Amino acid sequence: MGVAFVAHCMLNQNSKVGDGAHCAGVYSPVVDVLRANGWRIEQMPCPELAFAGLNRFWAVREQYDTAAFRGHCARLAAAVAGVIALRVGQGEDVVLIGVEGSPSMGVTITSSDPRRGGRPEWPEGSPELVSGEGIFVEELRRELNSRGIGFPRVAGETHAIPGHDEAAEQAAIESALEG
Amino acid sequence: MKRDERSFRVALVADRYVNPPPGGVDGIAAAVEAGWGVIQLPADDYPAEVAQRLLFEVAEQADEFNRHGYDLVLVGQRDGMAEALARVGIAVPDAITPESFVALKDFLGGRPSPQALRRFGPAAG
Repeated sequence: MGVAFVAHCMLNQNSKVGDGAHCAGVYSPVVDVLRANGWRIEQMPCPELAFAGLNRFWAVREQYDTAAFRGHCARLAAAVAGVIALRVGQGEDVVLIGVEGSPSMGVTITSSDPRRGGRPEWPEGSPELVSGEGIFVEELRRELNSRGIGFPRVAGETHAIPGHDEAAEQAAIESALEG
Repeated sequence: MKRDERSFRVALVADRYVNPPPGGVDGIAAAVEAGWGVIQLPADDYPAEVAQRLLFEVAEQADEFNRHGYDLVLVGQRDGMAEALARVGIAVPDAITPESFVALKDFLGGRPSPQALRRFGPAAG
């Protein structure tokens, strides 16, 4: 048992980019695993919501990788790191549950396409998925490192990944919880 | 923007209902049943500096939902929440401090249709 720091949209799908919400509000497949294993939930802020708003377009890392957005993410990361530091100081185990494929919340898979821009029009498919972390997760890693705190174990919600399988998603989260 | 599965309903929920103690009111379960999203408020025992930073972010996000006509409510209480909301120019929304799961579910389920939902119409399928 410990504390799971979850992406904002795990509790609030209303924060998703338009056409991206998978359910009304709480994304139960992730929350159910955390609760069944006795983990406390800590919701992180959504980096994209307050910065680009509810009417934002789908985007890749390159479109968000600006000094202004990194500054915004660094501010959020400092707030989250304050809570992580508190929990780690109390001897709690900590995990991070992100959103795979997200330009800001990806933990092992993010999105990249250096040519994307202009009129928002692109073909279906997911050629932009690449290994790596989203921009907020990078800033959180930087903030925790500056405080001398190790980066938590991670898992991610996988709707954006081709072949998404809910059981596999839950198994990966359970594996991260077990350490 | 295409209509997706979102409910256009967001509850600001005190930590004691997100991580309820044994026998406490489960705010997450009520939100699932009533179809609401949740923004978690900082735990009551957080140091003021930690809590204030989180409340600032909660208020900014609440403001974005409010501006777009999503229904916003407050579940429980959190010192500093009213001040954080005031800084972004919004009032404390309708609130409940629920004494039971049923009371919370009924409160959430009894809200009027959000302005944003009327604009987008029902979800497809």
